[in-house]
Amino acid sequence: MMTNAAGEPTALVTNIQKYTIHDGPGIRTEIFFKGCNMRCIWCSNPETLSALPQLGVYPAKCLGRQKCGRCAGACPQAGSPIRFDADGVIKSIDFAEYCEGCLRCAQACPAGAVKIWGTSMTVPELMKIILEDKAYYERSGGGVTLSGGEVLLSAEFAELLLKECKKEGVGTCVESALNVPWERAQAVLRLTDLLITDIKHMNAEKHREYTGSGNERILRNIKKAAEFGVKILLRTPVVPGFNDDDENMRATGAYIRDELGGAVIQYQLLPYRKMGTEKYASLCMEYPIGDRAVVPRGEWENKIAELAAMLTDEFGIPAAAGSGNKLPL
Amino acid sequence: MYDEKNTAPAAIEPFDKEWGVGVSGLTEEPSPFPRINRMLKWVKNIDSTADSERAKIFTECYEKFAMYPQNIKCAMTLREVFRRVPINIWPGELIVGELSAPPNSAPIYPEFSVDWLVEEITERPMELRRNDRYVISEEVKKDILDLQKAWKGKTVSEAIIASYTDEEKKGNHLGKGVILDGLFVYAGVGHVCADYEKLLSVGFGGIKAEIEAKLAALDTTNPADLSKKDFYTAELIVLEGASTYIRRYGELAADMARSEADAVRKKELERVSSNCLWVAEGAPRDFWEAIQLWHIATNMIIIETNGHSVTYGCFDKIFWPFFERDIASGTLTREFMQELIEHSFIKMHQLRKIRDTFAITFSSGTIMGGTALDVGGVDEFGNDITNDLSYMVLDAHAHTRIPNPWMGVRLHENSPEEFKIKTFNVIRIGTGEPKIFNDAPMIESLMRYGKPIEDARSYVGVGCVEPSVPGKTYGMHDSGSFNLAKVLELAINGGRCVDCGPSCARWAECGALGKSLGPDTGSILTAESFDDVAASFDAQMKYWCDIMISCINKMDAAQQRLKPLPYLSLLVQDCIGRAVDVTAGGALYNHSGPQAVGLGTAADGLSVIKQLIFDEKTVTGKELLQALRDNWEGHEPLYATVNGERMHHYGNDDDRADDIARFVMDTYCKYIEHRPTPHGGEYMPGVFSVTNNVLHGTYAAASPDGRKAGEPVSDCIGPAHTQLGSHDRRGPTAIAKSVAKLDHARIGNGEILNWKFSPSAVSGVTGREALISLMDTYFADGGMQSQFAIVGRETLIEAQKKPEKYADLLVRIAGYSAYFVELSTELQNDLIGRTELSFD
Repeated sequence: MMTNAAGEPTALVTNIQKYTIHDGPGIRTEIFFKGCNMRCIWCSNPETLSALPQLGVYPAKCLGRQKCGRCAGACPQAGSPIRFDADGVIKSIDFAEYCEGCLRCAQACPAGAVKIWGTSMTVPELMKIILEDKAYYERSGGGVTLSGGEVLLSAEFAELLLKECKKEGVGTCVESALNVPWERAQAVLRLTDLLITDIKHMNAEKHREYTGSGNERILRNIKKAAEFGVKILLRTPVVPGFNDDDENMRATGAYIRDELGGAVIQYQLLPYRKMGTEKYASLCMEYPIGDRAVVPRGEWENKIAELAAMLTDEFGIPAAAGSGNKLPL
Repeated sequence: MYDEKNTAPAAIEPFDKEWGVGVSGLTEEPSPFPRINRMLKWVKNIDSTADSERAKIFTECYEKFAMYPQNIKCAMTLREVFRRVPINIWPGELIVGELSAPPNSAPIYPEFSVDWLVEEITERPMELRRNDRYVISEEVKKDILDLQKAWKGKTVSEAIIASYTDEEKKGNHLGKGVILDGLFVYAGVGHVCADYEKLLSVGFGGIKAEIEAKLAALDTTNPADLSKKDFYTAELIVLEGASTYIRRYGELAADMARSEADAVRKKELERVSSNCLWVAEGAPRDFWEAIQLWHIATNMIIIETNGHSVTYGCFDKIFWPFFERDIASGTLTREFMQELIEHSFIKMHQLRKIRDTFAITFSSGTIMGGTALDVGGVDEFGNDITNDLSYMVLDAHAHTRIPNPWMGVRLHENSPEEFKIKTFNVIRIGTGEPKIFNDAPMIESLMRYGKPIEDARSYVGVGCVEPSVPGKTYGMHDSGSFNLAKVLELAINGGRCVDCGPSCARWAECGALGKSLGPDTGSILTAESFDDVAASFDAQMKYWCDIMISCINKMDAAQQRLKPLPYLSLLVQDCIGRAVDVTAGGALYNHSGPQAVGLGTAADGLSVIKQLIFDEKTVTGKELLQALRDNWEGHEPLYATVNGERMHHYGNDDDRADDIARFVMDTYCKYIEHRPTPHGGEYMPGVFSVTNNVLHGTYAAASPDGRKAGEPVSDCIGPAHTQLGSHDRRGPTAIAKSVAKLDHARIGNGEILNWKFSPSAVSGVTGREALISLMDTYFADGGMQSQFAIVGRETLIEAQKKPEKYADLLVRIAGYSAYFVELSTELQNDLIGRTELSFD
């Protein structure tokens, strides 16, 4: 577990989103942890993949070197890693060759053109923010949702944080792919009111091809979690051409019915939409899914609704299209 | 919690009926009643116009009756209008009565002001307007031109302007716009809700008998009774006029019935006729007669004075006795009464008020303005009042989707869950209707301003949101608009405008002579601490609040002297008891309510000054002031910094900024609240801008919150947003918590909090439940009011480009909703700029 200079446990957080309403019941504060051990080609949060702090560059916000130039001024290497275009507008930061990752350029930028992805935070710092909205959780049946990245890569920290939440009476959700050793997951799930997890594909090979990782451990852990007694909100991000075929959907339906007992309170089919392109650009990363899987908005939502109805009919599981339906809690 | 299986209609539609999210203006025939859909189409396709009949009668009668006391002269003149103006009944109508003869027409009110109207007609043809367009016949135009000579020197506006000192003029709407007090200078006051409960229970005949008894009891040899005799005489004259006017509609309907070939329509006309003939004096006997009397009695208030925000009251409370009786006896069906409610909404939508080009640039699309109608809330004993009519009124909006009436839903801790679901399902359509009120702080506020609890609980939101006891209050709500951002500008720059220089229209008589707009109360050039800046702001606030009150007092006194309102005095308690006109203190509760505008802008400006100059010491006062003088040109890093996320900005649940917002608001309240008004009441501060934030912005130079010169200042009670972005960055709970830290009950004239959600953020059951929880918690925390724009930013930008495709797109503006494509570009842009809370 990471610690700060004072020896307090810390974790890297990329974003704290208040009034989240689709990741668990009620009004929630969602905390995104940095670092992930999967590489799903449709991932819309590329800033959470690496477990290290990163700099994102937003040229459209840059004031230009002539008018500002504070980033280069703050850089211990006199700005040599910072690339500007012909007009003096920031283009990128050369992480590979020169940058030491001191983050001073981002701290100096007044315009948000250089953004730090990943702030080191302690449990008390997070609790202060979480508790700001306590009245809203209480009224709505909400609470906190730990997400990522893969939050279970920071399991010890998550455990400390969830203990504090429990102490304060804040409801807890954990959103995880469960692609970690079971023991690591178990310690966190003990403090979790609702687990949000995915079955991305039933076929291990396909799963590996699209996410960089097989599904064997994931399926095993979902089953263990079901047996462990935690309530599960199960999801499939339905990506055209990857997992939307009837065969895979039926296999998923059967698995939920046969293996997960009554632990799954709702099975959500989430229509894939390409989001986060500007974040990929800020990190100078390619969006792996590229232009594949582009679907007209309404049409795709209709298909998802049909799939959900089919799964409910054929397998008697609580399938739902999208995340707008009430959770039976 | 509600029973999810219970879908039995509490109205016409099930309580949880979904009409879609963000689908304003996308439905062709919204009503289940063919008559309503036909009328909607008919009304929308008729150009607005003006009618000069009222004006001609006023010119003639003011001359003819010049020897009478002012109130009797006004009563006799209005009686002539009621006797003589042409009237019509339109196809299919079940409720009749208009402001003037052509459909969708505005009468002319020369007694208030004429010059501006002549200028509009001669220099800026109203048929060429892009928004708020009027097509006026050549004949009427000629009539209007003729008015100028007859009324020269006799209007209310000329009397008020003649009484202003130069000191007042240079800061008010005739000068640099620190205060905008023009509303009641050029027009009547309005902003009132009549005593409908009394009118519908005793009828005009009952009121007549009451006055006759009072008159008979006077001792005419007692000098003290002379003015009372004049008052009662005026009341009887105008009442006779009112009854005549209603009777004329009854006779017209009877004539039309006689020649009507269609048997069904013939029967309807006969009933319309008998309704009018009866309620001309009699108390209504069923829901249909009641709604007819309510409608036409309100029209007559607007025919007497062109003051807008004439309010329709708490519908479910007023009409419940009629509804209950008619359902029990089988006189009328629920469906038919629903149709009548929808019909009455269309009648409100036909009311017109002509405004000048300046006003419609910044306050466009208001049509009449302030046709407020509320449902829900508690009764005088604190019990929930919600009934079938509360639901039916909400259905009626879903079935008409027009921006009238301006609807309010009163909520309290025991409001039924089903009612909240219905309310938020209507809100999610995205038309901006209804707004919601929180009973607890509204009631507390009314009590702080002198009402006993029973009256406070019976409140209605007048116009936009102004808390008022219906039938008992003459509130002069909206009597002025106060620019907090401009005051801060003067407070940090020695009383001078930041852009003081030869380009100013007042340069020759002000800056060039070494004078300044306000007193020199300090400057950030010389301030040694933030306390110095706060003290300068406080002193500058006191100066301008005094100037504003002085201006409003002159306006109040002139309205009293020149334009008594004998008709309205029939319908407000206790004018008859006191024998005093409503403008002169006849009402039980009297107020004047000017609004502060730019709270977020002023708060963030002060917060930036505190943080950068005094706490972090990274910027000097000189640097900041120079940046403002240069309109941020050449100071880009500072411009980005003050707009950036490192700053303590109001709206982020950050005490360092929220405490300053509270200081700004409390300073305004302290210099306004409880001061005496000329008509015998007390001032109440309000915090909302309607659309004046856009107008005030044009008067204010660049400001330290990161606003550029001319940009709108922050709207209502919400956080600031500038060209560079919104200053609230932490979502709706943070906004709600910041705003809840203010002392809401102190805001006696009301407040508005505008929310803008993208449809995706509130869709689905989860979206609706979260939104209801958000509002429940905000209200439990003390918030007073909320209203919602639920429309995608892309939709608005698309509508700007292709207005023809989005003609029916209705959006929330400020106190009201309007058709987006009919708004001025300035207002459209302000709306697009407001923070959209989106969680995709």
